[in-house]
Amino acid sequence: MTADPRILADVLAMVDELAGDWEYDGEITPDTFFLADMGLESLDLVVLGTMVQQRYGRLPFAEYLAEIGGRPVEERDITVAELVAFIGERHAGVGVGEA
Amino acid sequence: MAPTLLLGIDGATFTVLDPYMQRGVMPFLRDLTARGVRAPLRTIMPPLTPPAWTSLMTGKRPGRHGVFDFFQKESADSEYYAFTTSQDVRSATIWSLASAHGRRVISLNFPMMFPPPAVDGAVVPGGWMPWRQLRLGCHPPGLFDRLKRLPSFDPRELALDMELEAKAIEGCPDDEYADWIRLHSRREERWFEILRHLMTADEPAELVAIMFDGVDKLQHLCWRFIDPACRPDRPSPWEQEMIDLCEGYFRRLDALLAAAVELAGEDATVVVASDHGFGPTRDLFHLNSWLEQQGYLAWNDAADGAGEQPRIGFAEMTRHVHELDWDRTVAYAATPTSQGINIVSDDRRDALRTELADALRQVRNPATGRPLVTDVLTRDEAFPGPYRDLAPDLFLALADGAAVSIVRSDALWQRRPHPNGNHDWQGVFLAAGPHIRAGVRLDELSIVDVAPLLLYSLDVPIPGDLDGRLPVAAIVPERLRTRPPVAAPAVWEPAPAASDVTYDPEEEATILNRLRALGYVE
Repeated sequence: MTADPRILADVLAMVDELAGDWEYDGEITPDTFFLADMGLESLDLVVLGTMVQQRYGRLPFAEYLAEIGGRPVEERDITVAELVAFIGERHAGVGVGEA
Repeated sequence: MAPTLLLGIDGATFTVLDPYMQRGVMPFLRDLTARGVRAPLRTIMPPLTPPAWTSLMTGKRPGRHGVFDFFQKESADSEYYAFTTSQDVRSATIWSLASAHGRRVISLNFPMMFPPPAVDGAVVPGGWMPWRQLRLGCHPPGLFDRLKRLPSFDPRELALDMELEAKAIEGCPDDEYADWIRLHSRREERWFEILRHLMTADEPAELVAIMFDGVDKLQHLCWRFIDPACRPDRPSPWEQEMIDLCEGYFRRLDALLAAAVELAGEDATVVVASDHGFGPTRDLFHLNSWLEQQGYLAWNDAADGAGEQPRIGFAEMTRHVHELDWDRTVAYAATPTSQGINIVSDDRRDALRTELADALRQVRNPATGRPLVTDVLTRDEAFPGPYRDLAPDLFLALADGAAVSIVRSDALWQRRPHPNGNHDWQGVFLAAGPHIRAGVRLDELSIVDVAPLLLYSLDVPIPGDLDGRLPVAAIVPERLRTRPPVAAPAVWEPAPAASDVTYDPEEEATILNRLRALGYVE
């Protein structure tokens, strides 16, 4: 597990709070899939990316989505940990809450 | 100061409103017309919700505000598209200008408002704002939780639910039409209840704006039940039920508009505007397949078709990236809504533009024998301004309301069995109030003229760099004499977003402890 724990905690806190609004009552962990487990639409993930970029600065999110969109249909999904790893690898050293 | 009330009606057209006004279905709009000013409102190209509302909000055309479509190229040369957000609006807006001059703002259900701008007032964004994330779009902090306490508050019906939205995009079985129409009546009620709450529980706002978007959505799917010219001569019982339900929607919308004006008070200046017009559409032009036939585009036969997931999302945004053979493609359409063609080759860009434009003008509608493409414009012609390079290279205007499809198809052209509704150029403008002339019909106004009128009504100086002009013919001459419009220097400022959601250290520590317990964090 190489995810930055602060980014992981930050993303989980955001998703936890949102999940309360859509009455998702399962536990959200780094292994939770956004679409398959939480029931999000892919547009939800696109919009979540907007919020992530507001928080961490500009990221190559469109390319990331393109990579996901190019997978076989049944694999077009990511886990919380994968999103966190993407942010950790790509954001330009901007600290949590400083973007 | 008496409020200025902007009532947005997405996709409203006099083609539909006039018969409803004449038949007493929309008595409030009829009376508002009689006591105010009416004009057709010419929209921008493309006649599409995100760029058109942005033009209304900025007083500028797309080349000068930077929004062209639901999705936006990452950069001028990029094939990657991102979700268009408020951060892509590269201009001051009526919201930021009003707020900067000390006017409180209420803005409900307008697109391009996520992330919400940091205005003095309240923002609940509309457009493609998924209901699951509506909390993130509400400004100021705490507003979402306040609204949750309203009995009528239901984010799933208030904001975008792709399961429901798919019906407008893909169509739906006959037995789902009635629920679809009723949903939009409820949705407008829910937005109105937020307006009522904010106008009665909060301190007064000077710029109050709400957008009702059910008109657009109903007209897409139900045009044949709404436009008298397209209704069946002898409707079946089911068709008559749909006609009646659509009429009921417009009747209820009229009542909500009346109630909003009553809340604003008799001294309010009221402006009703739509982002574009609407008309019937039967024809579908498969633009990428046409480009393939002409030798400009090649498909990647190894691609796993994104078409299996028709709902809007990243598959829609990235379809072209995977479905095209980039070694053999020099021109492609990335989205149907942009009505545009992107050219890949820098070396041959100018020559390809000319070639493509000439070829497109030769395309005929097989059903009518008339040209299918009425106009082809380069982005320099269509979108002058500093942001034109973010637009497609060529923009197409199609005849008879035809729509563009970008999916691979053996047929270049298709005709639907029933007319649907599609966007066109002429929307609506109505205004009334103490300083607005009564009973006046004006020639066509431009959508970019609305922002100067709103700013004038708010006593906010009008920046000199707007494309729109104050429609002085709509204003009582005495008012213009005593309060002449004040010009201001051109303003460019990025729309600052409101602070995002933050989590306190204690909350983060709790989550970290939970993760440690689960073994995710050492």
